[in-house]
Amino acid sequence: MSVMAIVAMVQIFLGGWQAPALSLGEVARREAARRKATAPSVRSLTDADIGPVPARIIGPPVTDVVDPATVGDGKAAAGEPIVVGGIVGATGPDNWSSGAKSATAYFKCLNANGGINGRPVNYLVEDDKWNPEQAALVAAKLVKDDKVVAMVGNTSFVECGVNRPLYEQEDLMVIAAVGVPRECFEQKNYVPTNAGPRVSTLGAAQYAFQKYGAKRQVCIATNVPNAGTWTCEGIEAWGKGAGVEVKSIYIDPGALDATSVVLEAAAWKPDALLTSIPGGVAVPIFKAGQDQDLRDKFHWLGPTSIYDLKFPEAIGDYWDGYVDAQIELNATDSSGPDNTAWRTIMDTYGDPSDPRDTFSQAGYLAAKIFSETLLKLDPAKIDRQSVTAALRQVKQYKSDLMCGEWYVSPGDRQNANHAGRMASIKGGKWVTVADCFETQDVDLKPILELEAKEGLVSK
Amino acid sequence: MPNLAPFLISGLAVGAIYALSGVGLVVLYRTCGVLNFAYGAIGAVGALVAWQLVQLSMPVLLASLAAIVVTTALSLLYGWVIAPRLAYRETVVRGVATLGFALLLLGMCDLLWRSNTPRQVRLPTDTLGFTLLGARVTGTRLTAFLLALAITIGVVVFLNRARLGVSMRALANDRDVSALLGISVLRVELWAWLISGIMAGVSGLLLASLVNLNAGTLTFLVIPAMATAILGRLRSLGATLAGGLCIGLAEALATPFATIAPYRSVAPFAIALLAILWQQQQPAFRLAKD
Repeated sequence: MSVMAIVAMVQIFLGGWQAPALSLGEVARREAARRKATAPSVRSLTDADIGPVPARIIGPPVTDVVDPATVGDGKAAAGEPIVVGGIVGATGPDNWSSGAKSATAYFKCLNANGGINGRPVNYLVEDDKWNPEQAALVAAKLVKDDKVVAMVGNTSFVECGVNRPLYEQEDLMVIAAVGVPRECFEQKNYVPTNAGPRVSTLGAAQYAFQKYGAKRQVCIATNVPNAGTWTCEGIEAWGKGAGVEVKSIYIDPGALDATSVVLEAAAWKPDALLTSIPGGVAVPIFKAGQDQDLRDKFHWLGPTSIYDLKFPEAIGDYWDGYVDAQIELNATDSSGPDNTAWRTIMDTYGDPSDPRDTFSQAGYLAAKIFSETLLKLDPAKIDRQSVTAALRQVKQYKSDLMCGEWYVSPGDRQNANHAGRMASIKGGKWVTVADCFETQDVDLKPILELEAKEGLVSK
Repeated sequence: MPNLAPFLISGLAVGAIYALSGVGLVVLYRTCGVLNFAYGAIGAVGALVAWQLVQLSMPVLLASLAAIVVTTALSLLYGWVIAPRLAYRETVVRGVATLGFALLLLGMCDLLWRSNTPRQVRLPTDTLGFTLLGARVTGTRLTAFLLALAITIGVVVFLNRARLGVSMRALANDRDVSALLGISVLRVELWAWLISGIMAGVSGLLLASLVNLNAGTLTFLVIPAMATAILGRLRSLGATLAGGLCIGLAEALATPFATIAPYRSVAPFAIALLAILWQQQQPAFRLAKD
């Protein structure tokens, strides 16, 4: 396994080749050239669209915060480095390092353009190898030895639960890229940019109900507690209130028998099937669905985990026009300013082999939020305490990458992102088919109340 | 009582997977005395090579042939460079060495082809199929099943009748005596690794299509395959084939029962454990020479 670890580390850190720094003016010119007038058009949400609970109308996002590309003077930052950490699960069942890679690219761009008021960011990324012990080890190293002021771009299956006591004890904030298990959304100091599998799958379920009239829905998820089971339980809870029957089928992610799973789902005669599993694991399910010729028997949907740009090609053109996915961040080919800046930064400062996927967008967003917050601080007084205090104040943050406004909650749960769009496979690609709508997770009620009470989002 | 008929069919289908992998393992064990943990990994490399070549617009059949050439080469490489140097070590040591090779190949696959990116190998047999008892059986599944059967029969005949086959059995039994008898040790062993490489390539392609084109999944498929091989006592190909089908059936038939369904994938190991316990009670098995 150490061979793989070395290989993975080399992969992550291979972004060490410094691209020639773009002059500041050039970056601004490029962004301006691509900046289009249209913010993502937001539908007025009506009861007929989304169900009995009236949804909040989401205004067009405007970035009125300090943009790192427009301050500084195009000269590389040369002050005392600010040390920032990041933990990702790179080696193991899946490679979740894209968030750290995009954050690395972002910080390179930042450092080449003056850094944080003259101070460069020294971004240290560690791989937890999907191992809880390793996660604790690298967190201790970053927090205690490297003395990072915060963590950015974390994407890990195991570290949320394991490192929570450390983060709270040291009062360190983590602006994570993507959280998956429940623990990542239910702690004070860990703030993901995404909505989570439960909210995302629920969005797909709501869409199936509203658009297709699906009153019987099957939820397929992994039998991992606090991830798969948490997701399907959320669908079941919503179903009770919305009058939708939900059957949950839990599978072992390593299982070899996808045919039995789809046969079981089909035997129940559903109107829709929600595949709340990672893209790579979902391919055999869709293949089995194709073998059994099930595309017309019921609708096939999934959360953001199947929104992978290679997914349509992998499942083949049998499925063209038959698969929908809820997306937690904006489409990777959308034309808003932040998404465009993300692509530009990846092309200029990232590696061509770095994936341009949702995780990557999330990492960019996390790095951006972090940097913009720090730019408002006195550069001489940046330490863990001041950074934590500043990050806790983030609210009403707007970006074309997200539907609603993002914030760091003063409470014990962090789930600012709870609205999304829908995409569909058409012509071998993902095409956005429905604009921003809210998710009606009953579990979100206390969060929405806190938002209203503390003014975390604008009215 | 739910309708079990479709699960019977899907069970035989997944059983064919276990049977194919198990038979491949037992064949090499009988011919070389090596438990080849790298069998799945070699197949994975082959499947990924085939996928890559198809991406580069090579026709599927040609890409599959190229993949089988690659897997045979990998198998021969191991059989020529490493296996002879461990020939006098215990079975466990030789098995663990193949595990090292498997991890090396797995790492190489992850490096060259990013793991868990959705990919699929589309074989021409995927589109053919027929419906039986409410479930559809694709041509690929039928091929896997028939191939497992063909390999079993073919190898049994080969090991008993063909000169090379008898030499292989002799070699697996006692290396020194075989050398004294004039059997060209290295040549015969290389033939065994070659056959194993071809089988790994073919089964890798079929399994990549039937299960998932994922290096990790295909590599560690060798673990339930090992359980299947144990059912055949690492000796009887027929029993391995039958055992694989039984395991597949057990796993699929558990699906409609909600309480045990999430734990279905434990079936190979539970059955192997029961088989071992039962075999321990049989004097015929207990006293048989290894």
